[in-house]
Amino acid sequence: MSLSKDEIRRAIYHCVKCKLCSIATFHPQEAWEPLCPSGTYFGFQAFYAPGRMEIFRELLEGEIKEPTEGLLNAVFACTLCGACYEKCRRVSKVELPLAEIFEEMRREIVRRGWMPDAHRSIAEKVKRTRNAYGEEEAFESENLKPTKGADVLYFIGCTARFRVPEIADAMLCIFDKLGVEYQVLDEEWCCCSVLMRAGWHDSDIVREHIRHNYDAICESGAKTVVFTCPGCLKTLKKDYAEFGADFSKEGIELLHATQFIQRLMRERGLDVKGLPLKATYHDPCHLGRDLGIYEEPREVLSAAVEISEMRRVREEAWCCGSGGGVKSAFNDFAVWSAEERLKEAEETGADAIVSACPFCKRNLRDAAKHAGSKLQVLDVVEILNEAL
Amino acid sequence: MKNNKAILRKLQEIVGEEHATDDIAICASYARDQHWHFVPPKRPAFVVRPANKEEVREVLMLANEEKVPVVPLSTGINIRGLAIPVHDGSILLDLGRMNRIIEINADMKTATVEPAVTFGMLYEQTRKFKLRPAFPDAPLTVSVLTNYYLRGIYQTSAADGHDHVLSYEMVLPNGEIVRTGSRALSSSLPHFRYGVGPDFTGVFCSHPGTCGVVVELTARLYRIYDNKKAYFVGFNSIEDAVPFIYNVMNDELVVSLRLVDNQSWLKGMCGTYDYDYKSLPKFVLCALVEGIDGIFEAKDEIFNEHLRNFVLSEGKGELLDFPEDFASNFFYETLGGTEKSCMVFGLRGNYHCIGLYGPLNMAPKYYEMHRRTAIEVGFPEEFVHFYLNPIYPFHGQLCYVELDIFYDGAAEDAGEKLREYNKKQFENLLNAGIYGWFRPYAGIIEPTIERIGYLAEIWRKFSQILDPNRIMNRGKLF
Repeated sequence: MSLSKDEIRRAIYHCVKCKLCSIATFHPQEAWEPLCPSGTYFGFQAFYAPGRMEIFRELLEGEIKEPTEGLLNAVFACTLCGACYEKCRRVSKVELPLAEIFEEMRREIVRRGWMPDAHRSIAEKVKRTRNAYGEEEAFESENLKPTKGADVLYFIGCTARFRVPEIADAMLCIFDKLGVEYQVLDEEWCCCSVLMRAGWHDSDIVREHIRHNYDAICESGAKTVVFTCPGCLKTLKKDYAEFGADFSKEGIELLHATQFIQRLMRERGLDVKGLPLKATYHDPCHLGRDLGIYEEPREVLSAAVEISEMRRVREEAWCCGSGGGVKSAFNDFAVWSAEERLKEAEETGADAIVSACPFCKRNLRDAAKHAGSKLQVLDVVEILNEAL
Repeated sequence: MKNNKAILRKLQEIVGEEHATDDIAICASYARDQHWHFVPPKRPAFVVRPANKEEVREVLMLANEEKVPVVPLSTGINIRGLAIPVHDGSILLDLGRMNRIIEINADMKTATVEPAVTFGMLYEQTRKFKLRPAFPDAPLTVSVLTNYYLRGIYQTSAADGHDHVLSYEMVLPNGEIVRTGSRALSSSLPHFRYGVGPDFTGVFCSHPGTCGVVVELTARLYRIYDNKKAYFVGFNSIEDAVPFIYNVMNDELVVSLRLVDNQSWLKGMCGTYDYDYKSLPKFVLCALVEGIDGIFEAKDEIFNEHLRNFVLSEGKGELLDFPEDFASNFFYETLGGTEKSCMVFGLRGNYHCIGLYGPLNMAPKYYEMHRRTAIEVGFPEEFVHFYLNPIYPFHGQLCYVELDIFYDGAAEDAGEKLREYNKKQFENLLNAGIYGWFRPYAGIIEPTIERIGYLAEIWRKFSQILDPNRIMNRGKLF
């Protein structure tokens, strides 16, 4: 969504800098819980929402004329998790769309040719290989059994294809076990979520990918597109429409895997066996705060395992730290954020932290390895596949 | 122009490279606060984040030697222009890393904190001892040390008063450390205000970072009682409310007593915008009675007797029947810290206030002056709001009065109107008579200094003794 300069200006001048956006709801538990990973990690005001807005103000007013290290850090070391906006909305009613504002700031900066080298590198990889990881080989799986022209299309996503293929495999097995015919794109190109979060909305590469994916999906004949990646889902559902690629106008439904599975569970009942695993569920930011999907993953997961909730959940979930281009440009910070989440998960007594996002899984897994955590890091579809 | 790069290097040697910067973007994030119509944005030249009092001392000594202005900042909330630099080349001393709760002493009912300890952080710990700090009407993210040092306004002022500082330790620009109250004699007994001779604790308080840097402070804590009850009493005028407020305060019956209009702070106290507040009387008195068994019942009974005698039988007002969750939100906010009350910022996008101390019997006059002046400069009457908080002990009928305007912060003409309002209202209030100002905000000090006679000269000389090179928040006071 593109914000006008006037909307941005109004937002900046409506923030009274109470910084309640940086802590989870205090009452009635009366526990002091940080909500902003970048503010907590970096400390300077520039890394909290109110401080970032001041930077944007100075950018728009022409006070900042060059890309300093501090500028790039403050602007890009934010996962755009949206927790600040959700909290602000609940206590102040000021309606500051902070994640959109910060994305707009990145757009402004990228227009000037300023960006972290890591993001420039991702753009080059996407251009060269049509995926965010620069992988030359196509995704392959012995579980991949598509049916051309099927009503359901599975959009796998770069991270599930190349970094956490077990999620894709699990989903393919679920389709098979449930007797659901599905197709996949012959040439699935990166949805470009990572580039858009990094401010590259106006680039040719993004437009090219949007056009390709939109045309390919529309031509596939699919009525429902299923995603295991909330980043891809959010991008195709919300961002593509800004570029005229609106799936709803074509009558094509876009669903997260947990929504799709929940629907099947309710329509026909599924034979799901309980697993001896205590799990806690981590709300991915794109799935939860961006798309409002909190209950479906829990319903699907609780069919197979016992869930105990962490302290910061749903709208106030602590971000795993990988989104918004942070994993590529600030890996130490990303892993730290995930380690904080793992600590919270361990406090629940769970054996596993389960998310519904390949990017969350990847970063949480990296953090578990770094911290020597005994927690298993899994995706909802992996659990369900085992339980079916 | 000083050699900024050399100064930066020295600052980094003190606090570590990653904790001191002159990066324009990082500095920009400290440039403006919500008082910008009066204090224009200005970037500091450096932002420095010390970890402990020793690093604070070294930074101040360096700044003193180089004659570089230093602006201390704790959590940076609600600073009303007091932490925005005035001069070029300033060091913004961000004390955010100093966030230790040094001690909670349940027997002494005290807490000792560093600058970046917030009310939320402190209450999370004190409640384990059934103790609480006195919460300001500012958000939970505010610094306990700075709020108490500057003297805020408190939800429980009706019983707790408005001065919660016992003693503190302050670093002066020359590197000397001053310990006030009983701290001067023993750092292990910081629990008494007066200690040695004059009230040095008091004499340094309320300076906006213009004396030195307070690096730890011991504050009073208050008991949490299980027995409590909320009352919401509606009045059509402030005059109608005055006798009841007077008698309730005179008999020391409540822990919290605040008179607000029905469109602003009340919404936050009740915790929702979704209620027909417009159907209520124009002003609502929000009261909270609490206490131990026996005392609570007695206070509650007398409170109700006053309600009958001074409100209901006189036809001056009515007891409002609010949903139960309004009362429970009110308890959380009043006795547990301000969170939802900040909803009022969303009324129109920003808020402006003049805060002052004055007697209860002048409250109707203050309100009428406020209303007239706001309309005179072009604000619609619906933007005019009011807040009154009586303070224990009630000598002089002491009240904190806040004249609020909730306005659109993005409106182009807002700044001009607010400046015009302030200019007129400061003179109006000083001429009508007030006890004093809440804080030395921009535009307040100048007309006030002219009126306080030789005290102003003493004040100036006092500041010069502590800070001869005038590095501490230069330009903020004189």
